[in-house]
Amino acid sequence: MTTHEGVGINVTVNGESRDAIIDVRETLVDFIRVDLGLTGTHVGCRTGDCGACTVTVDGEVVKSCLALGVSADKAEIRTIEGFAESSEHLSIIQTAFWEEFGFQCGYCLPGMLFCTEELLKKNPDPSEAEIREAIDGNLCRCTGYHGIIRAVRRAAEETSQAQREKDELRDEEVWARPGERVDRALRGRESES
Amino acid sequence: MVYIDDIRLPNMHFAGILRSPHPHARIVSIDLTRARRAEGVEFALTGAEAAEHTDPIPHFISPLAFGGKSTDVRCLALGKVVYAGEPVAAVVADSRQNAEAAIELIDVEYEPLPFVIDGDEALAADAPRLYEDWDDNVVIQIPFGGGDPAAAFADAEHVIEDELQIQRYSTQPIEPRGYIADWDKSARSYTFYGASQNPHPLKWVLSRALRVKESQVRVIAPAVGGAFGLKMHGHPEESLVCLLSRLSGKPVKWIEDRSETLLIGAREQTHRFKVGFNSQGKISALKDHFVANVGALGAPPGWGMAFLTGMSIPTGYKIENVDVLVTVATTNKSPWNAARGYGKEATNLVMERIIDLVARSLDMDPVEVRRRNLIESHEFPYKTTGGLNIDSGDYHAALDKAVEMIGLDDVRAEQMRLLQEGRHLGVGFAFELTPESGDIPGTLVGGFDTSTVKMSPSGEVTVLTGVTTPGGGNDTSILQIVVDELGVTMADASILQGDTLTTPYGFGNYSGRSMVTGGNAAYLAACDIRVKLVEVASRILETDNTDVELGGGFARRISDPSRSIPIADVAYTIYTLAFATATGVEPPLESTRTYLPGNIQQTPDADGRINIYPTYSNAVHVAIVEVDIETGKVDLQRYGVVHDCGTIINPRFVEGQMEGAIAMGVGAALMEHSIHDPETGVLTTNGFKSYLMPRASDLPMIETMHQVTPSPYTALGLKGAGEAGIGGAQAAVSNAVHNALAPLDITIRKMPLSPGTVLHAIKYREKELKK
Ligand code: FES
Ligand code: FES
Repeated sequence: MTTHEGVGINVTVNGESRDAIIDVRETLVDFIRVDLGLTGTHVGCRTGDCGACTVTVDGEVVKSCLALGVSADKAEIRTIEGFAESSEHLSIIQTAFWEEFGFQCGYCLPGMLFCTEELLKKNPDPSEAEIREAIDGNLCRCTGYHGIIRAVRRAAEETSQAQREKDELRDEEVWARPGERVDRALRGRESES
Repeated sequence: MVYIDDIRLPNMHFAGILRSPHPHARIVSIDLTRARRAEGVEFALTGAEAAEHTDPIPHFISPLAFGGKSTDVRCLALGKVVYAGEPVAAVVADSRQNAEAAIELIDVEYEPLPFVIDGDEALAADAPRLYEDWDDNVVIQIPFGGGDPAAAFADAEHVIEDELQIQRYSTQPIEPRGYIADWDKSARSYTFYGASQNPHPLKWVLSRALRVKESQVRVIAPAVGGAFGLKMHGHPEESLVCLLSRLSGKPVKWIEDRSETLLIGAREQTHRFKVGFNSQGKISALKDHFVANVGALGAPPGWGMAFLTGMSIPTGYKIENVDVLVTVATTNKSPWNAARGYGKEATNLVMERIIDLVARSLDMDPVEVRRRNLIESHEFPYKTTGGLNIDSGDYHAALDKAVEMIGLDDVRAEQMRLLQEGRHLGVGFAFELTPESGDIPGTLVGGFDTSTVKMSPSGEVTVLTGVTTPGGGNDTSILQIVVDELGVTMADASILQGDTLTTPYGFGNYSGRSMVTGGNAAYLAACDIRVKLVEVASRILETDNTDVELGGGFARRISDPSRSIPIADVAYTIYTLAFATATGVEPPLESTRTYLPGNIQQTPDADGRINIYPTYSNAVHVAIVEVDIETGKVDLQRYGVVHDCGTIINPRFVEGQMEGAIAMGVGAALMEHSIHDPETGVLTTNGFKSYLMPRASDLPMIETMHQVTPSPYTALGLKGAGEAGIGGAQAAVSNAVHNALAPLDITIRKMPLSPGTVLHAIKYREKELKK
């Protein structure tokens, strides 16, 4: 009978370096959920069809049930726990999903957020059809995708709005005193809401 | 959000379950020797051993209660297996991988028996029988109806007869099932964590199966990643995981694999119907004798769906002469569980196909045929031949709104234009009646529920309720009712559901009931607390209690809003000055109330009919499709729905429920299909590559309009939302496809309308036309 010896690997997860010894049979999703304890990544099928297990590995969106944990050695992994820039604030994309009822049970949500992020990076102003195509690898059984599509559109609009504001600030930076800059940024936010 | 698979207990072990590869076989022997020696294995168990420690799992809805036949369902097969996928033996190991590897080492010798997987074939006299002590494969046969169908058919100007086969398909939430059991040896009690829709009734089921008292079981339901009926209980793994924990002395977790989720079936029915009508399209008689293939009889509430399909005929149509016969057949497919719509989706599909067939045979507008047969708004409450007492509605207004919303004239003009180019556009309508919030007499499918509302001395509000949320947002909506009533803010309120130790006894989530029952109960409890707050506030504000309003966290004088006091201070006063300012106002600020809706009739009337639903939501669906007649592919281009679920607490939640259900109904119409290999009796659609569900690009945006006719039988006028949408969508899409194919005069009698099926029908018809 074979016993399954562990293999040592090192990964960077959400910016933090982690050493681990893992069972060679273990998939990446189990490594993330069980060994690293990051349970925000979900499992719906283990066959690459639902997208509940979506994370990024070295910046690319992947379905972590399809990879073995050992294959992630020396890779940089980002899970939903590292999605927002800070733990206190939701990102623009997350807020858009919240506001537009882009989820119900929330099981598909992490995967949908990663797909949205990737889409908006490549295409800041996606059409409805482009959004549908971008999330086509991810199943949602609760929403009929309706709220998700609206959320992605809203995220696109707000991302470009935020970008415009940033650009404006940069233009005016030379002229404005620090206090005024903050003022203007705040005013911008108010007029939005 | 913490889902079941996110929970880890110290020293937790994992269950692996070996399932039968045969649809029907005698178990000759099971040898666990090799498995017991495998890496990480702590414990292993056969069905015979399990039977020494457990009793059969009580049926969620026993067919015996309705005059049918029943059988013992156990957590592991005993003596023989009756479906491929039936649990046969189990192991407990220190990791999921080791558990999975160990079950491969269990040696079972089977003696395969002849099997049957087709519903009609199972009814033949010489069919293999699943249960030796039954004299056939029929669970139950139930008639519904009324009037004089024979005479009405004899008098009818037109009669058409046809058939519709509804495929086996199921709900498949993205989170599979999962359970953790933790047997506490010294306290002699189980703590059971499970993705469960009905924690309190499940506690009772576990106590029966495991031979302990209810007080020895605590069920905790964490966040659920979608349920749709699939997480109602009776599944063998529930009591199995508990037993494994007790016998192995370890906390044991079991998480289902998708291939296992896909075993759970539902909805397969073959309808053979006959309809009598006059030249004006008025239907006078209806006959529908149908067979439901429920697979092997399981303990979950699956088979009951067929019962309600029959009872709900003829939905919201005024047909007085009706002859329905429901035959529930067992076969060697895996058992059903409840599935969103709970049988009423099939009724809606069949009725809506019938209406379109009548329209086509008379060359009439299908909208007009609906108009001529739907119950009119002044006729409510209306008692159907099936016994349903439909509370209220305005079906004609909803139909008109749907016609307007979709711009029917323009769509028809476009359809004509495209047809010139050889393109097939189709528009389909469906009226949908969804009885909600059901109560099945003599079962723990209760029509009422209970909520507790508490306010602490610091003004914090806690709601505890017997209903659960499968992720549809009822928790937020229930809180909203309470918060509005008490004038506090959402930030000061929280809700607890799903723990049998802390929440009041309740039936959980099914039948679109959570808001109607749990929401109304919370409302009543909040009213009790409000009365006390207002009384004490009026004393503090030195005014009459009719002069006090609550809102935004304050109690204030209506006559002089500048005189106000934080509600938290009023609460504090009630707890601290019970013998002075608050004298006579009984502390604590806590109330538990039950809401029993009106209209439910458990005792049969003179015709033997009961009414198990208090309220009936309705909707009109309209779909526009284009069918590619070269490939058979259906492209759903537009979708609209006018929905009436009475009073709406939170429109976005209601819309979200409807949108999700419509997506499921579209899947049911076009792709979802659980297929068993006729040669082996084994499920072949065992993953998401073969069991297809709608993806984002299969659907358009869903255009929703609300119509509100409050229910007279529920306190807030709610009718429930959540179950509606499946049958309506399946029917609207199906009618649209048939409308697109009308120039070829095609009727497809097998669902789903997958490209292969549609293309086959087109080719067949083309051949016929050539002859
Ligand atoms: S769990 Fe990885 S795609 Fe479904
Ligand atoms: S929100 Fe439940 S699966 Fe998407």
